[in-house]
Amino acid sequence: MKRTFLLEIVMVAVAVAFLFPVYALITLSLKDPAQIAHSPLSLPAPPTLDNFDKAWTAAALGPSLVNSTVITVVSLVALVALGSFAAYYLARAQSRMGYGLYILFLLGIVLPFQLGMIPLYQLVSDLGLIGSHAGMIVFYTGIQLPFTVFLYTGFIRALPRDYASAAQIDGASHFTAFTKVVFPLLRPITGTVLILNAVFIWNDFFTPLLYLGGSGFETIPVSVFAFVGQYVSDHGLVFAGLVLGALPVVVAFLLLQRYVIKGFASGLKG
Amino acid sequence: MTANIARGSLPSTARKPWGRFSSLSPSWVFALPALLVYAAVVLYPSLAGMVYAFTDWSGIGEDKSFVGLANLTAMLHDEQAMGSIGNTLLLTVTIVAVQNGVGLLLALGVHVKLRSRAVLRVVFFAPVVVSPVMVAFLWKYIYNPDPAAGLNGLLGTHIDWLGDPSLALWSIAGTVVWQYAGYSMVIFLAGLEGIPPELHEAAMIDGAGTWQRFRYVTWPLLAPSLTINLMLSTIGGLKLFDQVFAATNGGPGYATETLSTVLYKQAFVFGKFGYSTAIALVLALFVAAVSMVQLYYLRNREVAQ
Amino acid sequence: MTDLREARMSRAQFFRMMGGLAAAAAATAACSTKPQTTTAQGQQTATQLKFVGVADQKAAMDQLVAAYKQVKPGVSLTTTFAPTDQVQTSVRTQLGAGNAPDLHVVYPGDGSAMSMSQIAKAGLLADLSDQAWTQTIPTGFKPAFQNDGKTYMYSAGSSVIGAVYNTKAFQKAGIDAPPTTWTEFLAVCDKLKKAGITPIALGAQTPWVTQLITYALVPSTVYAKDPTFDDKQRAGQTSFAQSGWRQAMEMYLELQKRGFFNDNPNGTTFEQQTSMVATGKAAMAIQVSAVLPDFRKSATSPSDLSMFPVPGADSADQVWIPAGVVVGLGASAKGKNLAEAKAFIDFLGKQENINLWAKAISAIPLTQDASSTIDPAVQSFLPFTKDRAVPFMDQRWPNAEVQPVHFAVVQELLAGKIKIDDALKKMDEAYAK
Repeated sequence: MKRTFLLEIVMVAVAVAFLFPVYALITLSLKDPAQIAHSPLSLPAPPTLDNFDKAWTAAALGPSLVNSTVITVVSLVALVALGSFAAYYLARAQSRMGYGLYILFLLGIVLPFQLGMIPLYQLVSDLGLIGSHAGMIVFYTGIQLPFTVFLYTGFIRALPRDYASAAQIDGASHFTAFTKVVFPLLRPITGTVLILNAVFIWNDFFTPLLYLGGSGFETIPVSVFAFVGQYVSDHGLVFAGLVLGALPVVVAFLLLQRYVIKGFASGLKG
Repeated sequence: MTANIARGSLPSTARKPWGRFSSLSPSWVFALPALLVYAAVVLYPSLAGMVYAFTDWSGIGEDKSFVGLANLTAMLHDEQAMGSIGNTLLLTVTIVAVQNGVGLLLALGVHVKLRSRAVLRVVFFAPVVVSPVMVAFLWKYIYNPDPAAGLNGLLGTHIDWLGDPSLALWSIAGTVVWQYAGYSMVIFLAGLEGIPPELHEAAMIDGAGTWQRFRYVTWPLLAPSLTINLMLSTIGGLKLFDQVFAATNGGPGYATETLSTVLYKQAFVFGKFGYSTAIALVLALFVAAVSMVQLYYLRNREVAQ
Repeated sequence: MTDLREARMSRAQFFRMMGGLAAAAAATAACSTKPQTTTAQGQQTATQLKFVGVADQKAAMDQLVAAYKQVKPGVSLTTTFAPTDQVQTSVRTQLGAGNAPDLHVVYPGDGSAMSMSQIAKAGLLADLSDQAWTQTIPTGFKPAFQNDGKTYMYSAGSSVIGAVYNTKAFQKAGIDAPPTTWTEFLAVCDKLKKAGITPIALGAQTPWVTQLITYALVPSTVYAKDPTFDDKQRAGQTSFAQSGWRQAMEMYLELQKRGFFNDNPNGTTFEQQTSMVATGKAAMAIQVSAVLPDFRKSATSPSDLSMFPVPGADSADQVWIPAGVVVGLGASAKGKNLAEAKAFIDFLGKQENINLWAKAISAIPLTQDASSTIDPAVQSFLPFTKDRAVPFMDQRWPNAEVQPVHFAVVQELLAGKIKIDDALKKMDEAYAK
């Protein structure tokens, strides 16, 4: 018991040290410039919400919040549907083609995105999807599929085959077997897939700038960085903007956090 | 999961009697929608983009001609590109070692039934969800040389974290480790949770100490988590761009220039898109080769144990 | 193939299983259609113009876009602003794919990937020469706006590089008037240092800040002696190493050697530099006048800050200053709404709009009338602008590699990693590429 207690103290101390940058971020966002200049590290006394108020208005985060949410949610739905579907085949296929396709998907994790940037922009532009949510959704679905397929395939391989087989013996097709039996079993890894992809899509700054720039459909990171660029020297204000921009995804993570660990855990057991 | 990624490419798959249960395998049509989107967004553009590696295109306008392998040979004589390879490798090795070392320790710590462990897990994983550019922005302030503010203020030091050319690369590695140690932790934790407690109990009865139990029970059984952690952090390290670019832009001087920042600058600052693509191609081949070697070696290790 | 048939039949089932998520998706997908912009009459659909610019342009553009809405309600202009590097990456990609926004940021002259010359040469900028305002561009500024005699860029005016200083810090150290020679400048720094104030704040961690001190000195050490230096350098008759650039670098390092900079300039950012001067911790920063608003935002009272020309020579009449056209914008030659895009630029070319933009960034308006205002902080530069001012050096450099090399060698010099000879050699090599 004594050893556990000691370990607990050590781990809490590590966590406190770990949180130092977060402490700096939050306390600075609650201080006015004079406080930041004179006592950068102390607790804000008195704390002020002026920075948040000003950042929310100046960065016009309201409409961006809607755009970011639409793009992220629809992309996630597409990723879960397409990814789990493909992984079901890739995990269960016992042919060379199945294995070849799996490697082809993994290749996507390795390729630097710069390689295809211009041809892809041309393609999206030819399809008339520049400046639309649809273009972004297709982009994120394609770019995140390799990682999604990778997570799902590993998880499905670890599932006992009996479930789906039993359903099939009862005369169900693979599709029904998948939707009725397999997909519900994928809940833990789907939690992992959702949070990791949401983090990437929500935080991406360059792609929305490239595809949505000047369209009036700005996402949160684009608005936040336009704002940051304008108020560079006012750290309190800038940090308030950064906190506002990160808040939705942090909240989503707190809600989903137990799935993240579980998803990984159940996948590895196999 | 790693066990399975690994297994996917193992001969063991091939050894299975495919024919027998083939009717139980789903049709490839299941993979078709994903494949189409993936091919349109990643495969086709990357293939089409590779062509530029053999041209002298500036990146804009119609003016371009085919130059064969000239860009690749030019790279060999490019001091900056070659120098950046060293930085890239140094950064990758450091990140892989420290991030996974810290991640493993954290995982071992929060695997024990501590009262605060649920909170601790959330705390350590939380930096993963914040955007890398935002983290770099925050850390630029944390790395403030002002002795009263940021990390210097906390430690009572007077260190020029990002401005000292011999230190800047390590400071960037510190940021990356801070952000992603929690990621490694979660994957190791998953591995730890898969180890049956009976094994530890048996070892304890045999009189094994803490270290021996770790060495002979935990460590071998963590092999699948180690594979996935090493691979993901290696790929991430080799391709690292956002953090370096936002923190130092490759500076001071050329002290933190990596392959990714060099290829970025060639394309968008110097207007040498063809050359930049050649560097990207080399980077892609390099990452693919390293991952394959790693996968092969680590998988054999898993099997051996 | 039974799977496929099954798949078709039970797609609805599949979505039902996805439950709330799918419903949310369907609901939100509905909002993702383009907003219908219509004219005031509600008859014809409005033209939508896209503009992508850098963060420094936001303050002015926001006002001008709002004003344009009053003049031309049928045209709606949507804007996006981002930090320079990211804008450069995205606009270069769009230009490369042949589909740039109708209007986008353009840097004056030559010497950078987003500069007027480089993009115009690729045939991607619309010719603006038929607009009235282009006839009034002062001769000295023409190279910034024009390629082969045609105007491709709009800019509201010029900014200068000089010392932004905190007047209270100067008073505290007992300095009554800004220095007018190099010797006086060093003496002022010395006095400030003795008064316990950092004389010059330098944020060399931010790459573009590294160049400003050399830029402030080179007009006096190079162009005052030879106004045709640029042409000679292009002709290969002179080089960085053989010119007053060496002297400017020596002066730069002398400031460091005497301890006139803050500690660790390579680790200090532009933001920190700004706040040091604004709060009086440091007395000066060698900066471009366009960032005066940033300094004022962080100061207790905006009037605490003013500017003076950096005297780069020991006789006051040999002091020249850098004055460059500020970052502007151009119209994409291949834009679908080219006529409307050009009409907006024509609107920007009106004197009152030039005045408005110039005022927002403390610039000297391109052309002036009775209602033009010039920021009091840059008044002391006006006597120079007629015949003792030169454009920012990079605007005449032949390629985009010299400037980043300049940034890097200054950081290496400040870190003591290389000597001035090496630095100038690297710049000459980049120039020759």
